[in-house]
Amino acid sequence: MPEYLRWKDRIKIESFNKLGEDFVLGVVDIDQDTCSGCGLCVPACMPRSIEMVNKKARMVKDLPLCMDCGDCVAICPEKSIKVTRFVELKRAFRFLDRGKPEPPRRF
Amino acid sequence: MAETNTNEEQKAKRIRPPESGAPFNAVEDIIYRRRSVRFYLEKQVPEYLLRRILEAGRFAPSAGNAQTWKFIVVQDRKMIGEMEEQILNVCKRVKKFADYTGAGNKHKEWLAKLLMRFMPNSFHPFPLAAMKVMAEGNLSPWHGAPTVIILLADRRSPGNPSLDVGIAGQNMVLAAHSFGLGTCWVSFVTPLAMYSKWRKRLGIRYPYTLVTSIAVGYPRGIPDGYVTRETHAIDWFCEDGTFKVVY
Repeated sequence: MPEYLRWKDRIKIESFNKLGEDFVLGVVDIDQDTCSGCGLCVPACMPRSIEMVNKKARMVKDLPLCMDCGDCVAICPEKSIKVTRFVELKRAFRFLDRGKPEPPRRF
Repeated sequence: MAETNTNEEQKAKRIRPPESGAPFNAVEDIIYRRRSVRFYLEKQVPEYLLRRILEAGRFAPSAGNAQTWKFIVVQDRKMIGEMEEQILNVCKRVKKFADYTGAGNKHKEWLAKLLMRFMPNSFHPFPLAAMKVMAEGNLSPWHGAPTVIILLADRRSPGNPSLDVGIAGQNMVLAAHSFGLGTCWVSFVTPLAMYSKWRKRLGIRYPYTLVTSIAVGYPRGIPDGYVTRETHAIDWFCEDGTFKVVY
């Protein structure tokens, strides 16, 4: 059975504010060779963490707030975007078993 | 004779479950390929399509068949713009007192943490970040969608009215995606209920509460597609009394 936290433990958990330690944001990997520069992923990204540089898309350097929604992956006509790191809210979620990321499966 | 006929008709209508490992059927495909659309064409959604979408919401299950929803369709671009302006004002205000990121904002951290503690959903880092992006003018609440469906719940109804409204909304979203439209759930509409001007204008009065809204429009590009998601652990109490966790 999974282990759940009591209120005594819960109250000690700080709100997530240490980016990088307690609160890991998502990262997408954009293949610079296959990117056609259509620019569809830029407005599709809600936290505005993709930008166009020299007709190639890339993640912004300054605090990309990626939440691994996968909208850029789904909209990319060249299939050159991949989510390489997923969001982890470590302090609050460490006791939850969230499994590994997988595409829709047929059983 | 008539009875046997109806029996055969009913048998013909019965839906058989798929074999193990069979490909996705149409409904599953729509469910798995549905992505939130945040980039819309200017083209307006025709009325007959919207009526079909709303009809899908009307036949959603609800507690005690109370049908606790009320839908408001806003296709007036000027009105959507005014609503967005109002929401942006709220975001700017929230950013002023609760944005603790960036240089020179360290003194606001205690207040943001306190708010996160007591309103963990409203002041979760994700909505806070979205509000920050909005206040900086890089994001509009409905992403430029030509049509907005606002969902209200009747607060006198049995059970959990906002859940019932959510079920109706998801029905509408799936119907819209099966027509090739794009949708996005937007709950940033809720601050509008704080203003009497908007309560009067939208008709949010006694039995109704503002729950959420859905942006509807034609998507730019083809945003629908499969993505990877975490397989959350499922606790499974088996028939023989054992326990297992499946992924």
